[in-house]
Amino acid sequence: MVISAQLFSFFTAGSLVIIGIFAALFLDNLIKKIIGLAFIGDGANLFIITMGYKPGGIVYIFLPNMTISNFAQNASYPLPFALVLTSIVIGASTLAVMLGLVIVLNKRHDSLSASKILGDESD
Amino acid sequence: MDSLMPIMVILPIASALFLNLLHGKDRTIKILAIVTALVLPIIPLLTGYGSHYFGGYAPLSQNSAIAQGLPALITSTQLFVFHPSIVYVFGSAQKIMIFVLGIIAFFAIFTSLSETKKPSGVYTYLMFMGTAAVTAILLSDDIFNFYVFFEIAALAQIGIVIASNVKNNYETALKYIILGNIAGPLLLLGIALLLGVTGNVNITDIIYSIKNGYVNPQNPVLLMALALITFGWLYGSGLPPFHTIKSALYSKALPHGSALIQAITVFIMVALGVMILRIFSYLSFSKMAIIAISLLALVLSITMALVQTDFKRIIGYLALGELGYIGIGLGLGTTLGITAGLFQAVNEAIITAFLFIGFGTVLYKTRISDTRKLGGMMFVNPRVALLVLLAGLAMAGVPPLNAFQSKLMLIQASIQSGVPELGIIMILLSIVTFMTFMKAFYTIYMRPKPDELEIHDYKIPKATIISLVAFLIICLTLGLFPQIATNSLQTLASSLV
Repeated sequence: MVISAQLFSFFTAGSLVIIGIFAALFLDNLIKKIIGLAFIGDGANLFIITMGYKPGGIVYIFLPNMTISNFAQNASYPLPFALVLTSIVIGASTLAVMLGLVIVLNKRHDSLSASKILGDESD
Repeated sequence: MDSLMPIMVILPIASALFLNLLHGKDRTIKILAIVTALVLPIIPLLTGYGSHYFGGYAPLSQNSAIAQGLPALITSTQLFVFHPSIVYVFGSAQKIMIFVLGIIAFFAIFTSLSETKKPSGVYTYLMFMGTAAVTAILLSDDIFNFYVFFEIAALAQIGIVIASNVKNNYETALKYIILGNIAGPLLLLGIALLLGVTGNVNITDIIYSIKNGYVNPQNPVLLMALALITFGWLYGSGLPPFHTIKSALYSKALPHGSALIQAITVFIMVALGVMILRIFSYLSFSKMAIIAISLLALVLSITMALVQTDFKRIIGYLALGELGYIGIGLGLGTTLGITAGLFQAVNEAIITAFLFIGFGTVLYKTRISDTRKLGGMMFVNPRVALLVLLAGLAMAGVPPLNAFQSKLMLIQASIQSGVPELGIIMILLSIVTFMTFMKAFYTIYMRPKPDELEIHDYKIPKATIISLVAFLIICLTLGLFPQIATNSLQTLASSLV
């Protein structure tokens, strides 16, 4: 049952990434595109969290009544959680920049259509 | 002296934050930014080689005080040699690359501050942040730390473009950040897969696990990780299919910003390329893939440069084409090949900065970057025209300038590796690069000035001329004495073979 919960979590992470890529590539509305991009980041984060999950494990805090061996064998791996925390901050920062750009471009073009705003540019 | 190692990253970040607070105080920003930027290339010269463990957490095998009393469960396994903290590694290759990055950052900041009447604290902040991020990428032996600074570098590049008052800069920045938000998480997923398989994010530990049989090297998850990390590498380096957007990014920044952005790109390409080689070099096709991608970049970018009419796009594409040479050197996988690739990276970063700042003087005098509307600039300032011509010759690999030495080494390496065809392609594309540059140079400088072209009276700042002369001196020095760089780069190259 526990393993299936982990598998379900992996499946959800994969689905989020795929839905996100689809939205980022194929949806025209910039806000929807950005939501899709957030999905990709969230999927990656969920994937890492799921990887750090240890079925039947304990929280990685060394309490007074624990032995080192017991702790080493049962504590879940803390690294993925630390990484995800940083990753969330990075995701929030890029999301803020993207939304800021969309606000400016929406004012300039009076539209949220990616094909109209980004297609106009003469690259 | 290894305590200076984190200072290389901390100093530009601290200055960046401080300068941002000073927005509006022009004189203070100018003085502080120039002084800090001047220190950037000096620190790597003073720093001793070695490793820096953040928090002081060295591996248990090097820390007898903590290792005592630990159970065999830890001391008899690979946990004993693993690195528990973020590690910075500083060797001779990092020294030369961070020094060159510092030089480019200094001249980019120096030129930007002298060309603008009202210096922007925010713009300078972004330039410092970009420099700090790439320095950290070059130093870091931790793949996640690498990712964090990869994202910061991407944001800094976007910020520089946003802060540049160039037509359609917001649109290009949005395009780049959208692609970055696909490539970044995919790179993170690649790192997550490596973490899942090896239990580590430290690159040395990942290699240790693979080489010592703790992980099956043929595990398909590792192949998936390679694919995802390579995707991140393509985005960060502006290799195909990202060459178009990267070139657009160069063209939407001010010339000094473009000079720094391209240096960021070059060193990210090198750092990620070296990381891929370090971890995955046991897979023979990884080197083949690097060569194939690099060849594609070389051909596509130089061909695209031929048909451009905006000189910033021309330099952008030529610069991206030059990345192909670096990739070929890395992909050859021999000591000579990798040394040549790394040397080419150092040369390319300098030459492209030289070109961007040199051609930037045209923009400064005319506010036009469309070559069809330009002409006669030779008579406006012949000294600058000569400097730009020399920069172009350097990029094409004309002796005695620096890229000649690196390209010659690359050709020798390809012959030595039994693929002289690569050498022939590189020679041919160098000729095309030369032709493309000369076409742009002729159009802007040598043909008669169009009647409708308005040339402003602004005098080109002395700082810009000083920067160009300094770049020329570096190009000549490295061209005449390549061993200054190659001896330093060879150590890293031999460790990768």
